[in-house]
Formats: sequence, C-alpha cells, structure tokens
Amino acid sequence: MLDLTAIVADVRRGMIPAHIYNDPEIFALERDRLFARAWIFVAHESEIPQPGDYVVRRVLADSFIVARDEHSAVRVMFNMCLHRGMQVCRAEMGNASHFRCPYHAWTYRNDGRLAGLPFHDEAYGGEDGFARRGQALLPAPAMDRYNGLIFVSLDPKAPPLRDWLGDFAFYLDLYTRQSQTQVELRGPQRWRVRANWKIGAENFAGDSYHTPHTHASVVDIGLFREPRASKRKEGALYMAGPGAGTTYKLPPGGSFGEQLRYVGYPDEMIPAMESSWSPGQRALVEDSGFMVSAATLFPNLSFVHNWPQVDENGTVAPFISIRQWQPVSERETEVLSWFAVDASAPEWFKQRSYRAYLMCFGSSGMFEQDDVENWVSITDMAAGSMARRLLLNSRMGLTSADKPIKPALAGFSGPGTAYQGFGEFNQRHWLGMWSDHLAGAADGAR
Amino acid sequence: MSRERPLPYSDPEHQAAHQFLVEEAALLDAADYAAWLNLLCEDIRYVMPVRVTTARGAGFDALADMGHFDENLYALRKRVQRLATDHAWAEDPPSRTRHFVSNVRTFAGGGAGLRVESSLLLFRSRGDTRPPDLLSAGRTDILRRAENGYRLARREIIVDESVLRTQNLAVFL
Repeated sequence: MLDLTAIVADVRRGMIPAHIYNDPEIFALERDRLFARAWIFVAHESEIPQPGDYVVRRVLADSFIVARDEHSAVRVMFNMCLHRGMQVCRAEMGNASHFRCPYHAWTYRNDGRLAGLPFHDEAYGGEDGFARRGQALLPAPAMDRYNGLIFVSLDPKAPPLRDWLGDFAFYLDLYTRQSQTQVELRGPQRWRVRANWKIGAENFAGDSYHTPHTHASVVDIGLFREPRASKRKEGALYMAGPGAGTTYKLPPGGSFGEQLRYVGYPDEMIPAMESSWSPGQRALVEDSGFMVSAATLFPNLSFVHNWPQVDENGTVAPFISIRQWQPVSERETEVLSWFAVDASAPEWFKQRSYRAYLMCFGSSGMFEQDDVENWVSITDMAAGSMARRLLLNSRMGLTSADKPIKPALAGFSGPGTAYQGFGEFNQRHWLGMWSDHLAGAADGAR
Repeated sequence: MSRERPLPYSDPEHQAAHQFLVEEAALLDAADYAAWLNLLCEDIRYVMPVRVTTARGAGFDALADMGHFDENLYALRKRVQRLATDHAWAEDPPSRTRHFVSNVRTFAGGGAGLRVESSLLLFRSRGDTRPPDLLSAGRTDILRRAENGYRLARREIIVDESVLRTQNLAVFL
C-alpha cells in the first residue's frame, strides 16, 4: 500500500513524508534495497591489533565475526554455524585461535575454515560423505578497508570502497589520518534508543541549524564556545561523494599551526598532521579557515570533532568520535559510539581528549543527551495516521524555484560543493541517496 | 564484589555509610543536584566502565580504557550546571527517578576512609506513555571522613548491561 514513487518524488523535492521515520514497510525496503548493498562500517583495525583478536558486529540482523587471523589478515565471517545455524561466537570481543560451535562442536579456525567436526568418519563416512576441505564460515560478500576502517557489503558486486568513497575520502582523512599511524578507537559505548536510525544520520550530515537551540545549554555553561548561532552560521556545509558534513569558521588569518592550536592540538601533533594531509586538506584549515565538525558517510556512519573546555582554566581539547546508527527496527536504533584519537598522540593528550569526548558525546555526553531526546520524540510522532498527511519541510537554503538562496561558496578548498550558513543541502543530499536505493535507481547506476 | 568480611551491620561506621548512600539517593531522586555536589570530595573520581560480553576465560568483562563516565569535579559540576539551565531538553520535562540502594557492605579502609559496596537499581520514567527504563549496577565507593560526616572520594559503577536501554545518561547513579 506504500506509494513509493510518490514518497520518493516528495523526498527529492525536499518535502519529507513524516511517516518514513516510523514505518515498517519503509524499514523492510531499507533492509532489502539499502542495507543489502551499501558499504557498512563494522570495525576499525585498531580494535583487533593482534592475531586472534576479534569483535562481533552486526549489519542489521546479520552477525559477523571481524577477526585478525594467524597471518594477520582481517577476516569478516558470517557468525552462523554451517551445520545447524547456531551463532558460533557469542562473545562480543576477545582473542581466539578457533571458534567452536556450542551445539555439536564444529570448530572453525579464526580465518573461518572448518578445522574439525566430531566423529567425521563414523557420522559422515569421512571426506566421502562430508567434504570438510574447502568448508568455511560464509565470508562477508565484500570487504574492504580505508584508513583502517573496515567495511562490508552484502552485495558481492559492490564497487571498490575507495571508488564508492570518492571525494568524501578527503574529509574522512581529516578525522582518521592525522598522522601516518592513523587513529585508534576505544569502545564502543552501546545503547539503544527508541528512534529511527535515519534521524541521527541526517542530523550529523548537515544540521548546523539545530546547534544553537538544541545545544544552548552547553553554551550557557561555557563548555563549548562555538555553537552559538552567530558562530554556527559562519560555518560551511559541504557535500562530497556519499558524505556530507558541517564545519566551524576559524578565526581569520591564522596559520595552519595556529588554527590547530586554537582548537587545542598540541605542538607535538601538528607536524604529523601537516605531513600526512595534502595541500588541499591543509588549505581547508589555513586558507579557507574551516575546521570539520559533524559529518555522515551514507548510510549510517557519522563523525564528530569538537573542542570543548576541559577545565576551569579554559583549556580547550579537541576530540573525535565515530558513531554508527545501527537499525534495530523502524522505531529503535542501537548507537555504537567510539572515541577515536591519533595513535601517535602523546598519552596525556589522549586522556584529555577522551575526557572531552565523554563530556560532550556518547551515552552520557551533554550534547548527545539533548539530540536523542529530539530523535525519540520525532519517531514517536511519526507513527500515527496524521504523520501520513504531513510533509516535513526540508527545503532550507532553496528558493521556490529550487535555486540556492545564495551561491555555493567560492574558494572552498575541499572537493564537492559547499555553502556557508544554514541550509538543508546535506540532508537532501543524504535523502537523495536514500531515494536512489529505495527506488532501485542505485541498481541502474551499477 | 569483595570476598573480605564486611563490618558487622551493627558497626556505627557501616550504619553511617549506609545512611550516607540512602540520603544521597534521596537527593538524586529529588533532583537536588547542588546538595549532591556538596557530598563530593574536591578530587572525586566518578567512573562507569563499559561492560562487554566476553568468554568466561577471557579475564575481563569491562573495557579498561572506555567508560560511560570518567568524571572529575569540573565535569560533574558542568553536568549539574547544565541541568539547571532552561535548555537541558533531555531532562525537561524531568524524568521521574527512583534510586533503590541495597546490599550495602562496608569495609574498613584504614585511614583513607571506608570502602562501601552497594547495589543500585535506577527506575527512570520519561513522559506519560513511554516504557520505563531500568539500570542495574553495582557500585564501589570510597567514603572519606570530613568535618560533617563523610564525602564521596571515588565511585566506580559496574553496570549490568553491555548495551544500555536508556536513551542517555542524563542521570547520576
């Protein structure tokens, strides 16, 4: 009974049928047409540094073991026993050379290969009845990595991850490659919220408009000086490839080093950032004068970089968080929120940055608390009959003739398109990709 | 959980520690956070590690380097100041909370004060129709003697879920 053509047409003109934020039919389409093919983040290599290390992660209902095998290769394996379908590994992390199914003791090496099963000769007649050779836990249909971030796709014909990331890789580096040693992740904190997964993804992609009001309390208490409206509207919104994000405008005229010191990076870290970023990446900070803040990589991986005050003396410390909006149903989302920090940063900085993260984001973060309150409420309201009659206006930044109310930002050194000030360009960009997947247009593009 | 022998329940120090925790819970349920801050030492450390599901032999079931909280007095003061603003939407309208404190065991801590273990069940109801949230945790506290009774010097909260089922931790445990 869903008129998908009409829904997608509305979404594409920036008028969002409110029920898509709590609709089981839409969720089934998202499962089958979006999550069945998009690149989905599962883990970072720093979470499994040693041979045998593993974490268990999901893509919707599918559980995967993400392991580093005895030869240090990263493996992503469907966590279901080949015999009777038991979940082979029921811990969420650890170190193991083998995974043994608790049901009948079929045992798999940490590269997924079936190593043994009890009574192979007596029960199966040996290799003749059941050829053990070549049997392995099902590998993720596609697996690829970028800056240590491990992604899977359920579509074996998925394009290479780097091709898919396209111009967004430029921005991804700013969060995940501050030195040649890349980032290390801690966590994740995990918690479940009664909210639709799309709301957080859209918000982090480009909602600088909510910051002055939703997060007024953190300005009131002097925790973070930037989010007041007068500062926030000076920031640039950018869209590039499958990602989009927000930035803050830095004080004018600062050198690369001065701008990084302004947000709290210590002198020890600046040379590594200077040498691992391209001239264009450095110019975004130095010439354009923007510092990245929130961003979303379609569909459900978001990033945030803020620089709150961490003590009574006004010391500012930056932090990075990587977070995933893992759908549980149309009305429930598991949030996985990691703290990320450059692996070669001094220990004192890592601790300070970690504390800054905890105050602002994650399960207890003073920003995130208020965000989730909004998202739960939207999801609640989207469940009923009236929500099917309401189109949410997501056209900010456009005239009635679909022209931007002001031109794209000239001289923005990053790739893609950027606009300064408030606008819902990025959310429409994200919803455009969502529409492509649901309408099946993503098939044709392949 | 400590396997040492706790102080007898008749011990005045145990009774004082028990009363401290119950009075503290009353302040939290009354949202009297300014008074709650007065119970904390200047060098308070308030931590809540992330719990994880691991195999029995793994040797750990909490993350050493990642918590839901890792707070000093500055951070706790900021949280309290925030709740007192007109813009803390996460708790406006406020949740109705009930901190149930039980299984209190007190251990003589030498000159430093008392070590107190307790169980906490936090009931949190938001709005008129949402299902309520429950958070179950064990706590290990260090109470230090001060001029007027005890002050909390350290609290470690060991939450019993790996995936929390509450929309945020805009509450204290």
